[in-house]
This record gives sequence, C-alpha cells and structure tokens, in this order.
Amino acid sequence: MQRLSLSLVAVALMALPAHAECYADYKAKQDDPLRLHYGVAEVPSCDKAAAEADLTPRLAAAGWVLLNVLNVFGPEGLEERKASAAEYFLSF
Amino acid sequence: MQQNTSSASDSLRAGNRVVGYGIAAIVLILLGAAVFLFLNLPDANAFNARVERLFVENDLTTGAEIKLLEILAQSGTSFSEVLTSYRSVIFVLLVFATALLIASLVFLVTIIALNRRISAIQRSGIQVSSMLISREARAVYINDMEFALTEAALETLAVLAEARMDDEVLTGVQIESVISGRSEADCDEAAGATRVKRLRDALGNQLVSELLVKTVARRGYMLAVGKDALRMI
Repeated sequence: MQRLSLSLVAVALMALPAHAECYADYKAKQDDPLRLHYGVAEVPSCDKAAAEADLTPRLAAAGWVLLNVLNVFGPEGLEERKASAAEYFLSF
Repeated sequence: MQQNTSSASDSLRAGNRVVGYGIAAIVLILLGAAVFLFLNLPDANAFNARVERLFVENDLTTGAEIKLLEILAQSGTSFSEVLTSYRSVIFVLLVFATALLIASLVFLVTIIALNRRISAIQRSGIQVSSMLISREARAVYINDMEFALTEAALETLAVLAEARMDDEVLTGVQIESVISGRSEADCDEAAGATRVKRLRDALGNQLVSELLVKTVARRGYMLAVGKDALRMI
C-alpha cells in the first residue's frame, strides 16, 4: 500500500515539470490599420484548445485579436522559434 | 354597362394616378437597385480579411514576411477609399436617373393628356376657353376675340350666362320673362326663341353659334361654355 502511494507521488513529480513548461506559438492581428504578428507565449497547459482560451484574453488586454494557435510545445521548441517571433517572443 | 363618354377631369384624374403609380414604381425600382449595389460593393475590410486569411493559412512567420503582408493590406485599404468614392458617384448617378425617369414619365403623361385634348378640340371644332361679357362696351370677348353685340343680344347672352353659372337650362318663355320683366304667363315661347336666334345671328354663322348656344331638346337653351371660363363685368 505504501509502495503504491510512493510510486504515485513519484509519477506526479515526474509529470509536474512537463505541465509547467508549456509554450504555444500563435498568430494575432490588430485592425485599422491591419497589423499582424507571430509570437510565442507561455501557457499553463499543453492542450491546444486550452492554450487558445488562455491566450485570447491576454492578447485582448494589449489590443490584439488571436487568430489561431499553431502548436503547443515544450521548452525544447523555444530556440527555433525565437528568431521568427522576435519582439513577441514570450512578451505576453 | 360600358361608358363611351369621358370628361376632361376624368382623364386628368387618371393621368394623375398614372403619374403617382409611375413615380412610386420608379423610386421603388431604383431604390432596390441602389440597395442591391451598395450591398454588393466589396466592404472596405474585404482586402484586409483576405490578407488575414493568407497569414493564417500559410506558414508565414518571419518578420519580413509579416511586414510584406501588412504592406499588402495597406494598399488594399487605399483601394477601399477609391471604392467609397465610387459609392458616392453611383449614388449621385442613381439620383439623376430617378429624376430623369420621373421627368420623362411626367412629360409622357402630359403629352398623352394634350393629345386627348387636341382630339377633343378637333371633335368639337371650337373650344371656348374664356368668355367675357362686357355690358359697358356692349361686347363679348370669346377667347380674347371681341364681338360687338346689340343691346338685346347682349341681354340674352347675359341671361344665358347667369343661368349657365347655376347649371340651369332656360326655356324661351323664361328668357323672355327675365328680359322683359313680365310674368311667365304673359310671355310666349316664340319671343324667347327669336331672341336666341338673333343672338346666334349676331355672333356669326349658324354653325359656330350652334356650338356656343346649345339647344337642349324639349328643355330650352344653354351656353356650351365651361363654368370656369365665364366672367362678367
């Protein structure tokens, strides 16, 4: 019984960092005049729909409208997207 | 029962109705066309929406590519300003078209009414549009043409004119009685008829005066002149 709970804790500890380190790259726009940007942001869960729901209000606060979320990835995907996102890299 | 007579006021009313319906139809059709045009003109944001879709559907993520897309959208926005000016030009043209169509409809109806009137004039031979009886000058002005009359003929004409204004038909007896001042019992039909005959003779040939002083069978005599054309001084 004790071994079982221990292994459960171990599984939970292993799973936790994977959930904490989630990033999404997205496309957003502003109207009048039309402005577009591609950006990368940290999201609380690695689910695409949840990331979309989370990003929409965060972007709206800065006056941007979320168009779509492309991918959700872990920290390993950050480096290759840094150049494209430029000023919108982890800025929201 | 079919009526084969028509009066001027009838055709006028029918003409007015045609003009009313016609104007309503023209305005309705052109309003529909205007609404259709305005709804079908591309929206100012149509170009932006296209650029946005391009951005979403393609793998365009680098800064330079995005900048290029933004420039594309800006050129589209300047085109949308041209569209707005087109819109106003189209609107002005539609207003002109409406005005021209209404004017041509009114003219068409006017021409039809005039044609009817001309054919009516041709039928009746003479149309008295104004008749002015002047006791002072002892003359009657028909359509601004002066005709000198004798005192008796003028008296007869005046009596007939007064009766016409009341829409009355006078018998020879009544004419004689009004002019001579005697009671109708003392007057005789032939005397009145003679007065009418003398008036007709004084006014000209039989045909013209027949058209002017109408004989209503078994009832008497009446001026064949419209009430509103009559004036007496």
